Amino acid sequence: MTHSRTRGFRRLAVPLIAGLSVVALAGCSAGSADSSATPGADVAQDISFAIAGDPTCLDPQQTSLTTSLNIGRQLTDSLLDQNPDTGEIVPWLASEWDVSDDLTSYSFTLRDGVTFSDGTALTSDVVAANFDAIVALGASASLANGYLAGYAGTEVTDDTHFTVAFSAPNVQFQQGATTISLGLLSADTVAASSEDRCQSVVGTGPFVLDSYVPNDSVEIVKRAGYDWASELRGHQGEAYLDSVSFPIIAEPSVRTGGLESGEYDVIQDVPYVDESRFSSDDYHLYAKANPGVPNSLVINTSRGVLADEAVRQAISKGLDRDQINVLTGSISGQAPTSVLTSSTPGYVDLGDTLAYDADGAKELLEGDGWTLGADGIYEKDGQPLTVTVTAFYAQDVLEAAQIQLREVGIDLQLNMVSSGDFFGAIASGEYDMLGAGLTRTDPDALRTLLSTSSASRWGIVDDAELEGLLQEQSQTADVDARQDIVAEIQQIVAERAYVIPTLETVQLHGSRAGVEGITFDSAARLHLYDTAVVSD
Amino acid sequence: MTVPAQRVRTASGGGRAAAVARFLIPKILQCLFVVWATYTVAFVLIHALPGDPVLAALSLRGGDATSTDPVELDALRARYGLDGPVWQQYLVNFLGLFRGDLGVSIATGQPVVDMIGRAFPNTAAVAVFALVVGFLVALAFTVWAYVARPAWMRNVVTGIPPLGIAIPAFLSGLVLISVFSFGLGWFPASGTNGFVSVVLPGITLALPTGAIFFQVFSAAVFDAGASPFVFTANAKGLAQRTVVVRHVLRNALLPSITIIGLQIGYLAGGTAVVETVFSRDGIGRLTVDAVLARDVNVVMGVVVVVAIVYAVVTLVVDGLYGVIDPRTRTRLGGRKVVTR
Repeated sequence: MTHSRTRGFRRLAVPLIAGLSVVALAGCSAGSADSSATPGADVAQDISFAIAGDPTCLDPQQTSLTTSLNIGRQLTDSLLDQNPDTGEIVPWLASEWDVSDDLTSYSFTLRDGVTFSDGTALTSDVVAANFDAIVALGASASLANGYLAGYAGTEVTDDTHFTVAFSAPNVQFQQGATTISLGLLSADTVAASSEDRCQSVVGTGPFVLDSYVPNDSVEIVKRAGYDWASELRGHQGEAYLDSVSFPIIAEPSVRTGGLESGEYDVIQDVPYVDESRFSSDDYHLYAKANPGVPNSLVINTSRGVLADEAVRQAISKGLDRDQINVLTGSISGQAPTSVLTSSTPGYVDLGDTLAYDADGAKELLEGDGWTLGADGIYEKDGQPLTVTVTAFYAQDVLEAAQIQLREVGIDLQLNMVSSGDFFGAIASGEYDMLGAGLTRTDPDALRTLLSTSSASRWGIVDDAELEGLLQEQSQTADVDARQDIVAEIQQIVAERAYVIPTLETVQLHGSRAGVEGITFDSAARLHLYDTAVVSD
Repeated sequence: MTVPAQRVRTASGGGRAAAVARFLIPKILQCLFVVWATYTVAFVLIHALPGDPVLAALSLRGGDATSTDPVELDALRARYGLDGPVWQQYLVNFLGLFRGDLGVSIATGQPVVDMIGRAFPNTAAVAVFALVVGFLVALAFTVWAYVARPAWMRNVVTGIPPLGIAIPAFLSGLVLISVFSFGLGWFPASGTNGFVSVVLPGITLALPTGAIFFQVFSAAVFDAGASPFVFTANAKGLAQRTVVVRHVLRNALLPSITIIGLQIGYLAGGTAVVETVFSRDGIGRLTVDAVLARDVNVVMGVVVVVAIVYAVVTLVVDGLYGVIDPRTRTRLGGRKVVTR
């Protein structure tokens, strides 16, 4: 009796909490609130989780595919963990840590009794081998390498104490150490070739890789004796689920149909158009905006008309971001209100700066000497106001922007290319603007994108003030002081329109109502540790 | 009927083995030429495309963190055999084929031979199922159409099979999944686990395959049906069934074998849509993924394997011509027989 009442309450509570978390997405209150699932009695704790594509490489240190990172997150743990709601960093595999004032050395104390699933212990030497291997992987592990920028080596004091040193201040390492990209792998895995690591990894996580058949499925099973969950999880000890099977289902309509028919318990990437189909009580939806820089127009100011700040600002004012979100985004999402997404630590609301103002855009252009041509496109000295955006995904977003900009007299041309050609364009610098987002869990994402010294510099700007601030935030250890700088950077980047945000991309997953306790980490990857089957 | 003809030739011509060799050797050479030519054309086309394959494959794994550092890219190029002059890449990679070495996938780092070896049986299972079902259904429809009376009934029957090719595999696959997987739960919607997982994708592919079979079968059968020997057989008062089986179908077999050969070639490479809809690991899906990632080593590997399958099937079909149709065999068997 008590049991069924509890269950009835939960049925009511979960959609309510899910609804609230959608409303409060800006503050990002999803997460631990609904992670109090308890496994149902006499219900098999095995789920089928349809993923949208082949993970290609399971090694979380090498890949940056969301699909692979979602699986990697279950297989291994990180040194630290980050509360996705508050941005607070808490212990995980490291029980204590200390950051030097100049951000060049990080000392850690490892938690006792942690072992990899092959039985070997987690020691300082293994951690050092992990970081050394990431640096040696180079371009094959670019995301993890980004967090280790300037890595000078790991000094091992004893089995549980070590210090990671950097040749220059590295502000993102502490936060990077909470991500799965710096998740720790066993000594054998680390010593294997990069190809072998892609096929099979051994970690300390609550689940163990059982099998991976490329293009077919990934199977993971519960790790017996797991006892080192971070305090952010809903429970301690072993995971609730006995096994998770990840069939690879590339066709979205098959994923959604399979969720409806019960073939899959959880599906990745619910298409936004199908969102309303799954908003009933029979399903749970899990939505979180990717942290980092939202989907944006990233400007190359060294070419053509985009060198002109008035033109850039006119483009920014000419975009009705709310309408773009309605047309192409998730119901759970919201229009971007800064050059960082609302789910990124350090985000500040710049809704006023980024407000839609078609008349203001036209005034700006006219004040800048542009005149409206016969075809409704502004022109100056006989040159029409035409800009080209190079992109390899989210064509619908760019098409919506194209229609809106046309109305204010700006001709936006789309150059949809393959992902390889997109990065080829970056390598050669031949583009007016790029249409893409950059997923990172730290406001340092803006430095990665814009700094003249960044290896993945997409936005080409020549602004000494901005450059100084970007470097300064990366060398500031004081959280409040850094926040002030980060806020100023967002203001400058939005005002001078170096990055023109278009849409916050939302990770949208769905499950049947009988599966509960799926949570996002701070990087919008999934934790299945607290997940349980509460009813069939 | 065929057996005496063979004896005659064996007796009059040179050694039988020599005759077979004369018949087969040019065909085997032709087969090798097809593989070489396919390889060369594919190589030229892939290398003529703009863009950097290493960068493309790297971006598949690296996403928005993809490195564009030229030094790192050069190191990776060397690792995947894509450095050095183009003619050198062409020669080295082509010679590798004879060792069974198709190189390493840029996107996954696995040997291409392993990837194709893993995917091929899955594609073959669906292709064989589609071929058998398509053949049998087309045969049934052909006989039905031949014997159907009156004329309007025959028109209706001959009008049904073309639907199989008119409906795209993408749509028929999704309809089959909705009804038989999600609706009735009889077959899985995805995966490669055993025979049950072959049925729905197999039927999806059997529809166009059967439709093409039917077009060829029915044309041949109606041709044969209008020929003098069938007229004679009918006039002799033979049973309709005997006429159909012994005279009509038998004479329609030769053009049918040609189309079976073509269909096998098509199925070996043309399963991409079905494998994507049914989320099956197979040659078609492998190709789609490889093309999207500009994984040139895998694309070349698939092209070569499909070319080999196609060439071998053509060889077998040509050989079967000789067995089935004595005229072909005599013509190709040896000049002596003809001139004497």
